[in-house]
Amino acid sequence: MTIYSFYIFDRHCECIYVKQWHQRDRTFRPTSSSASTVDSPVALASDRHSSTSSKLQNEVHPSSRGGRLSVQDDAKLVFGVVFSLRNMVRKLSGPDDSFISYRTGSYKLHYYETATNLKFVLLTDVKMNNLKVVLHQIYVNLYVEFGEFFSIEHPGGEGVAVELFEMGLDSFIRTIQD
Amino acid sequence: MSATKAARVGEDVWKTRIDKVNAELVTLTYGSIVAQLCRDFEGDYLEVNKQLEKMGYNIGLRLIEDFLAKTNMGKCANFRETAETIAKVGFKVFLNITPTVANWTTDNKQFSLIFEENPLADFVELPDDGRAQNELWYSNMLCGVLRGTLEMVQMQVDAHFASDILRGNEVTEMRVTLVRIIDDELPPGED
Amino acid sequence: MSFYFAIVGTKDNPIYEAEFGTSKQGGDGVARFREEQRSMNQFIVHSSLDIVEEVQWATPTMYMKCVDKFNNLQVSCFLTAGNIKFLLLHDQKADDAIRQFFTDVYDLYTKTLMNPFYEVDMRITSGVFDGKVKQAAKKYL
Repeated sequence: MTIYSFYIFDRHCECIYVKQWHQRDRTFRPTSSSASTVDSPVALASDRHSSTSSKLQNEVHPSSRGGRLSVQDDAKLVFGVVFSLRNMVRKLSGPDDSFISYRTGSYKLHYYETATNLKFVLLTDVKMNNLKVVLHQIYVNLYVEFGEFFSIEHPGGEGVAVELFEMGLDSFIRTIQD
Repeated sequence: MSATKAARVGEDVWKTRIDKVNAELVTLTYGSIVAQLCRDFEGDYLEVNKQLEKMGYNIGLRLIEDFLAKTNMGKCANFRETAETIAKVGFKVFLNITPTVANWTTDNKQFSLIFEENPLADFVELPDDGRAQNELWYSNMLCGVLRGTLEMVQMQVDAHFASDILRGNEVTEMRVTLVRIIDDELPPGED
Repeated sequence: MSFYFAIVGTKDNPIYEAEFGTSKQGGDGVARFREEQRSMNQFIVHSSLDIVEEVQWATPTMYMKCVDKFNNLQVSCFLTAGNIKFLLLHDQKADDAIRQFFTDVYDLYTKTLMNPFYEVDMRITSGVFDGKVKQAAKKYL
């Protein structure tokens, strides 16, 4: 029961947080987006602030070389999938969101959206049960306490809060995995 | 969600999930903010109103997440429900007051919040310089808070005070107007 | 019986003053100081400030009863924690009533302090405060 990665997308369709624990090809290499490094906690936020297009800046080490996608491109793809699926589900089954998760041969994607159009996405292995509750817990306990400083509306990253969020998230995910 | 259900949710969350702080501390803190702004802007009360509204807006942007996390509420179906939620749950959870919703327009896009008590304005008397009574909206931060929170849930509103007990009026009344519903943002290149 | 009441700030500046007469036993609540007397009231009260400052370190309580006498007039004092002095000039002894009056005014004064637009040592010009002080005077004096 492994958790591969975790994304948060804000209401402006931007990825504001990414964390990867395991690669989907099963080699363990924990990497995370620039938003979580202590030296440049604001790199992701301030870049978003200055760029006119919403394309993510690719300033962090890509997760591996040679043909594999970078962390940021990964995030963009995930967002695209999630956004389209959510719209489709809304059209098919009404305004009350029912898109919760989908499963492929190699991973399962869990999705949770708040009333403020904040999107939480978790990629896990296929045997995991539904983790919408987990995502809700991350929102209520971690994001609201420590993570609110990620959003565009609050540039000038609060390094300490990011660290607290990271630590909380890490320990929370590890308890899930056991 | 009906008014009674909203009231019940508000009461419930207030009792169980909220850390409380001394009310006088809040009153005095807010009072010193306003007094300092008045001193900084040297009596330009219109500018003070604007600054209070801006501060409230920034508070509202973050407050909504806290609110949603504590109350576990989803989206409201229409503007009337939103009004009830704001009055019975929102204000109850954060200020322990329940203003009344009144004066709906026929198109259901405008309503008033009537405040019987306003903890921000306890013990306050506006300065006697002749202009404050006509120009300063003491609790204007609340208007900004409403604007910020509702913007994060896809509603653009305009909120302003219509009357204030501090100014000698009979009631403190805030008028809230729905300007438009904000559509979901599409990623670039997709429209 | 007439009373002259003054609140003096930390810099010996007057913050508030009022005159009343007794409302008890047939009095009509209007102060009756002779004309010359009236102008002296301020000076008498002001001169008693020195004594107040001496005595304040000896008493643990805020109400200091009668601190000074001038001819047939007495000055009673109530000292707040913020070193604000409530002084009452009166011609008859009425310790208890005066204490209750001072306590009421102290309550009103703290409420005034809670007003963010009021700074310490500012003159109190609020009509509401004035009215309430006069009410308290009617009640106790």
